Amino acid sequence: MLAAQDLVLDYRSGTAIAHAVDTVSLRVERGSFIGLIGPSGSGKSSLMYLLSGLKRPTGGAVTFDGHDYRELSAARLIRLRRQHFGFVFQQHFLVNYLSAIENVTVGALRRNHDTAAYAQELLRRVGLGDKLQKRPYQLSIGERQRVAVARALVHRPAVVFADEPTASLDQATGHEVVSLLAEYRQAGGGSVVVVTHDPAMLTGADRVLQMRDGRLN
Amino acid sequence: MTNPLSLWNFYFRNKRKVLPVVGILALAILGVVVTDSLLASARETAYATFGSYQKLILVAPRATRDQDLANPLQESLSRLRDVQLQVDSLDGPGGISSYYDAVVALPARLRGQLPSVQQVEVDAANARYYAARLRGDLVPLGDLIVRVQRLQSEEKSFTQLVQQLTERPNDPRPLITYLQQHQTWLQSVVPDSAQLGRLQSAVISASADANGLQASLQALSRDSANLNTSGQSLANLPVPPSPSGTIDQFKSALDRLTASLGSIEEPQPGLDKLLADSARIPGTAFVKRDAYSNLDINLLAGNAQFDLYGVDQPGMAQLLALYGDRVAAGRLPRPNANEIAVSEEIARSRHVWIGGQLGNNLDELDRLPDAFSVVGIIRGPTRIGVIPLDYMTQHYLFERRYQGLVVVPQSGHEQVVHDQLQKMIGSTAFRLFDWPYIKAKIDSLIQNLDAINRFLVILVTIVLSLVVGLLNNLFFRQRMNEFGLLAAVGYGRWALIRRVAWESLGVTVAAWGVGIGAAIAVLSWFNTSFMVPHGLVMNVFDWNVLLLHTLPIPLMVFLFGMSTVGWQLLRLDPISIIERRD
Repeated sequence: MLAAQDLVLDYRSGTAIAHAVDTVSLRVERGSFIGLIGPSGSGKSSLMYLLSGLKRPTGGAVTFDGHDYRELSAARLIRLRRQHFGFVFQQHFLVNYLSAIENVTVGALRRNHDTAAYAQELLRRVGLGDKLQKRPYQLSIGERQRVAVARALVHRPAVVFADEPTASLDQATGHEVVSLLAEYRQAGGGSVVVVTHDPAMLTGADRVLQMRDGRLN
Repeated sequence: MTNPLSLWNFYFRNKRKVLPVVGILALAILGVVVTDSLLASARETAYATFGSYQKLILVAPRATRDQDLANPLQESLSRLRDVQLQVDSLDGPGGISSYYDAVVALPARLRGQLPSVQQVEVDAANARYYAARLRGDLVPLGDLIVRVQRLQSEEKSFTQLVQQLTERPNDPRPLITYLQQHQTWLQSVVPDSAQLGRLQSAVISASADANGLQASLQALSRDSANLNTSGQSLANLPVPPSPSGTIDQFKSALDRLTASLGSIEEPQPGLDKLLADSARIPGTAFVKRDAYSNLDINLLAGNAQFDLYGVDQPGMAQLLALYGDRVAAGRLPRPNANEIAVSEEIARSRHVWIGGQLGNNLDELDRLPDAFSVVGIIRGPTRIGVIPLDYMTQHYLFERRYQGLVVVPQSGHEQVVHDQLQKMIGSTAFRLFDWPYIKAKIDSLIQNLDAINRFLVILVTIVLSLVVGLLNNLFFRQRMNEFGLLAAVGYGRWALIRRVAWESLGVTVAAWGVGIGAAIAVLSWFNTSFMVPHGLVMNVFDWNVLLLHTLPIPLMVFLFGMSTVGWQLLRLDPISIIERRD
């Protein structure tokens, strides 16, 4: 479903060229849990940006369900991202003036009763059933991240991209967050791609890919 | 389920940030509306104050050399000196007194035989009496003429001083020099300057005594002739010679003085002919002689002179009928009385009502001499004030010289009558005042204030745009994570710009509405509590001011705010926000 072929991402600084992603090919099958690990600067986040369409590659191709990103306009690529992908970042990026439940529904494609019920269900599942109306500043960091996970799942995306979702959390909370993503995958929701530098977080992954200097080992 | 990113959610949840911006903008809009409304009020009040010109043309004498009192005054003073000399001669050797003494010295026997001697005695005594009176009259008359002369020359010095100060406003030397040179004079003369009307009463008194003296002298001449004739029939009667030569010289000197004083009192030459000619202009409804005067009133944009029409009684009624005005309280002024009837707005602005007083005694800027009693309050669409023509012309020397005409054209004939009048006046010392001229003057006065106001509005708009643009930017930076996330999860840049545009538009429109609402409330209160009681005009619901004049503020603020934030949103890179580790 999601495939990358000979992906290259270069950063130019004057005459110097840095290869953030260097000729990477991979496939993310439907319902799979892929872990990307590597040290800082290895290019794992850059690879995730390319796979999710947040960045255009310098070379190579990414296709999702047969759609080659190179052939998609910016608007269509944005629409594809909105409809089929979910995102969890290292920071929660919750909207401060919205409640937990409202933050979750920011990610929803349709705003109806079912979506509201599903958003509540997701928050209950992540253990925040009693904090639906709490604002982000009234939640702990771990709770905020769990709201961010619920937001990433509310529109039932085909692929969830999580970029260092546990970096700012303690280990126990980090495990909880990753297991929430794993649950989504197990429930048949979709694929999960988790980028982390902590291998302990990827115990449930189908495949763990290691990156170093922009290449997959 | 509601949209969490709805505008209502944004405004309601961010009220602590939104309300101050709304408040600042609303205050600025309130300020613009208030200043604009006051300016519009100044214009409308000025139009209303001089609205009577919309239906009439005032023919007024120009200030000319002939019109200047200096010439007849100087001539009168010379004549007066001559008369004084002649009065002294009458009293001197060969004059009335010596003749009287000679007649009284005739033997009682002769006086008993000649009844005409007794008559000569009586007439000579009368002549002495009037001569003494006239001598007494001439002293204050001469003094008043000198005072008027000095006042006139002082006016010229003062005009010159004003001109110098206008040209070099930062140089106080002319003012200091003027005050040093004129300090003593100002202290001695200025308190009396309001009583210049006494000159005319002194002239009248002197004229009456001169007439009495002349009558006595004529009788004396006749009696002395009789006495001479009778004396010739009696042998050796020592009849004294008659002082007829001295009397004749006095008479001619007095005639010259009378003629000279008469020229002081004459109105502008040619006025009678102009009155007759203008009444014959086709399209003229009626013409009235007008001893016009002015009242000092406040127009917000500064003081102005409200025109009073000095017409006869039928003229007052005609003017009221012309404007559709009526006497709401009291009555119109009586003939030959120092009375005034004035529109209620003007009365309010001067804080007077029936029984109150107006005039130069109370306000030095009133060109209404001494004090006039308010006897009537006029109500109607046009502001007007009327005073009696005869009182003005018979009691006040200067007003007599500044008589004009009120020419009322028939509706639709204003321009034709104006053109004909202009042609008729030609190069004579008259000038026309009609509505286009007055309106242009008012507009010119307001134009300067308008320019200042426009500058202030532009300044406020620019400063506000910068301030609110800055606040927008600060607020935007605080929401960078929100926009970064939305961009990452699939909101396009233009969708984000649209969202911010709606947010900004909502704030500016709300501020606009609040500002206008507050302005209406403030202006309504101000209108009721200040403007109406002071006879000033204010249109609280002037939508031109409320909407069009304030529009640049929200528009500029919106455009400036959106241009800066929109530019940042166009360049927004969600990854740079996602990767921030702050």
